[in-house]
Amino acid sequence: MYMLSNRDKITAPTYDQGLLWVTLMLLGFGLVMVYSASITLAEADKATGHQSTYYAVRHAIYLVIALLAGFVTFQIPTRFWQKVAPYLFLAGLVLLIMVLIPGVGRQVNGSQRWIPLGFATLQPSELMKLFATIYVADYTVRKAAFMDSFTKSFLPMLAVMLVVGFLLLREPDFGAFAVIAAITISVLWLGGINGRIFAGLVVLLVIGVVMLIMSSPYRLQRIVGFMDPWADPFGKGYQLSHALIAFGRGEWLGVGLGASVEKLLYLPEAHTDFLLAVIAEELGFVGVAAVGLLFAWIVMRAFAIGKEAVAYERHFSALLAQGIGIWIGVQAIINMGVNMGLLPTKGLTLPLLSFGGSAIVANCIALAVLLRIDWENRRLAKGVPA
Amino acid sequence: MNRANHLPIKFPSWRRRVLLLAVLSGFAVLLGRSVFLQAMHTDFLQQKGDARYSRVMTLSAHRGMITDRHGEPLAISTPVESIWASPPDIEAEPAQLKKLAELLGIKQADLHKKLSKSRSFVYLKRRMPPPDAARVMQLGIPGVFMQREYRRYYPAAEVTAHLVGFTGIDDKGQEGMELVFQKWLSGKSGSRHVLKDRRGHIVEDLEAVKVPQDGHDLALSIDRNIQYLAHRELARAVEEHKAKAGAIVVLDAKSGEVLAIANQPVYNPNNPVKIAGKSRNRAIVDIFEPGSTLKPFTAAAALEAGTFEAESRIETAPGYMRIGSATIHDAHPQGLLTVSQIIQKSSNVGAAKMALSLQPQYLWSTFNQMGFGSPVNIGFPGEATGKLRPYKSWRPIEQATMSYGHGISLSLVQLARAYTVFANDGEIKPVSLVRMKEPPVGQQVFSAATARSVRDMLETVVQPGGTAPHAQVMGYRVAGKTGTAHKLDVGGYAADRYVSSFVGMAPASNPRLIIAVMIDEPSDGKYYGGTVAGPVFSAVMAGALRQLAVPQDAPSDNIVIPPEDAPEVKEVV
Repeated sequence: MYMLSNRDKITAPTYDQGLLWVTLMLLGFGLVMVYSASITLAEADKATGHQSTYYAVRHAIYLVIALLAGFVTFQIPTRFWQKVAPYLFLAGLVLLIMVLIPGVGRQVNGSQRWIPLGFATLQPSELMKLFATIYVADYTVRKAAFMDSFTKSFLPMLAVMLVVGFLLLREPDFGAFAVIAAITISVLWLGGINGRIFAGLVVLLVIGVVMLIMSSPYRLQRIVGFMDPWADPFGKGYQLSHALIAFGRGEWLGVGLGASVEKLLYLPEAHTDFLLAVIAEELGFVGVAAVGLLFAWIVMRAFAIGKEAVAYERHFSALLAQGIGIWIGVQAIINMGVNMGLLPTKGLTLPLLSFGGSAIVANCIALAVLLRIDWENRRLAKGVPA
Repeated sequence: MNRANHLPIKFPSWRRRVLLLAVLSGFAVLLGRSVFLQAMHTDFLQQKGDARYSRVMTLSAHRGMITDRHGEPLAISTPVESIWASPPDIEAEPAQLKKLAELLGIKQADLHKKLSKSRSFVYLKRRMPPPDAARVMQLGIPGVFMQREYRRYYPAAEVTAHLVGFTGIDDKGQEGMELVFQKWLSGKSGSRHVLKDRRGHIVEDLEAVKVPQDGHDLALSIDRNIQYLAHRELARAVEEHKAKAGAIVVLDAKSGEVLAIANQPVYNPNNPVKIAGKSRNRAIVDIFEPGSTLKPFTAAAALEAGTFEAESRIETAPGYMRIGSATIHDAHPQGLLTVSQIIQKSSNVGAAKMALSLQPQYLWSTFNQMGFGSPVNIGFPGEATGKLRPYKSWRPIEQATMSYGHGISLSLVQLARAYTVFANDGEIKPVSLVRMKEPPVGQQVFSAATARSVRDMLETVVQPGGTAPHAQVMGYRVAGKTGTAHKLDVGGYAADRYVSSFVGMAPASNPRLIIAVMIDEPSDGKYYGGTVAGPVFSAVMAGALRQLAVPQDAPSDNIVIPPEDAPEVKEVV
């Protein structure tokens, strides 16, 4: 009996094949849709030399880099991340400061989010999402014994988050901050932070967000635009109204791959923030539902992997796995919500799908970490040291 | 494994479930929203979309050509290109813009002004010749587009201006035949319902293209060569005699088709600006008191009624005649004249005596059958009907003056048409501005004998002793009548302002053409119809007969000009 079950365990897959395939599916689908959404834009733009494949080729190169990065990441034991967590976080802060330095950071459309590296541009906020997730998981595990103490568990993290928030809002990149804040709160919540502290934090956060919005006219404009895009459909509501039209045109099955009209220079950012609208128009509800379900599946897998890690008392791994799940899930929800007019326009891309090198590399590294945690879980299940 | 794992950590598993549920319900809300947008709210959203990028384009139909009777073009639509731009989409180097302004032929400052507009449609230059437009497009500037339009071109320019008319910017007929045959010429424009991208490129057709139905060509009755000739000779006469205006009508004597119709002053229909006073087709829309050119109808009525015969003699001495309190005069006292001589010398007294021998109703009926006082139905906008008062109100003096064309008014084309009765043995023909397949059936008004008899009398008019020796044509016998009428002025006739006219036909043995010439207010001394209008008739008739290769009915040396010292046979009225 023992021999038999042991052999079962040995012949069982050594990694989460489903998670890997879903990730690859989303990446591949993203390449197709980025190409479809960007053809006209690339052709019309002088900056791209009027090459229709400009974005598609770059996206493919990013995918290769991201997959290589993911493969390398998968070789790294989880405990390494825990060791380097504070340093990574510090490095992330340094990058966030650098991007704000004139001459180092590059400004596009009023936001200073990119550091040109010659062959490509680096978006520090995307890396910061990864570093923050690792750091918060490490922090929560370190402070596990003091989760009821306001000064020891909550206050330091609040201070850190205020610094991160300050830097991100200087760019400004409100979307990245929202995602990082969601990850932090979620991980603290999972780590068992005192219920009253948590409630206080939520209240504080709401007040903070409201104040931020009130203090900055452009953010208020975005809020107003999202509430009723048809009030000013050619001004503030322009982008969203076109996104909604794309959804309406798509109906159940879509107008067909490549047949979107909205992408013909009507819908701005069709290949990045508003890729889902093009998916909705070309592939209909079926396409949107598939994207939503695949993301939901990733979140569920991340939480399941986290649950297994808890069972092996791998607390950092557990929180990191679920933090990654929250990251991917929350960012997907916000992006999709923005596309459908449920949330104000933020400047967040659709994870794994949208055009953008830094984001894809960071997403792939995160998912490789998740796969690694699962891989280590499986080894422990077989009685092999992780 | 590490320090933290050795501590007694316990993550509450309900918290994990709550968080997962929260995230998953987020996805559930999104799917619900997606169903709402993509299955329930679609009509509204699609309508908004259509409003932004579906467009109905008009495909303009090619306007039909107007030609003369032989197919020579008088009005043609040529394709031209209009260059327009979508300023927000313009991407160009300063050097390119400079070149663009150069090719468009506009100032750089103007170009910049146009391109700084925030609208997404602005014309840069309308109606360019296609090769020039192609050169502009070769610059390849994004945001610059070309649009096909048609421009109406009139090859004969002012020569056919009054008849053909012209079109407005929207390609609709404004004047003349362009206006009358608007529907026939314009055809039916088609349409295309398309999706356009934001830069205006057509992406796809939403429904079947409605192909435009091109307009039909229109062949006028005009003969372009005769028209040129008529125009030239009329212009020359109006200039020579310093006249205010003039008109000429050339009819095919057998079919009633108008072979030429020209007026002075003229305008250029290719650039119809400042045309007030020049645009009227006077021959059709203006009326005048014809004067003596009406006498042949009085004579024909008297012959037809039997009150006189061709050789009957009428006493015209002493050159005037009292009717009631009024007196009518001849230019020269003549004495005893035959009916033929009355026509030849244009005696008012003789004509009045013939008129007064008839019942008013009879004379009226004759004039009415000639078409006086009723439209000729030539199908031209603003066609004049003329004035012929009802016979019941005629006083004898009025009946008398009407016999020589005073107190009655008509258009030149009405007058020319009336003469078809003498060319067709008593049958009056309808007139037409459009080429006809078969000669129309006319209406018999006089007997053939009466008509021929009057035609013979008209031949004497151009012979020595007649009023119009200058109307003779080499190699052809001519029958015609002069008219020199005082113009109407406030409160009566103006003493020194005349309308000089001549109406005639040739060859007199079997008339082929009828030409009516009217010169309004010649003011260079000469004003007799025979000397002012007669030479125009002669020149046009000679050229037209040659053009039509009409066989001669007289020897080539038939022209007999009276000696210089011979007294001019004058007429007034």
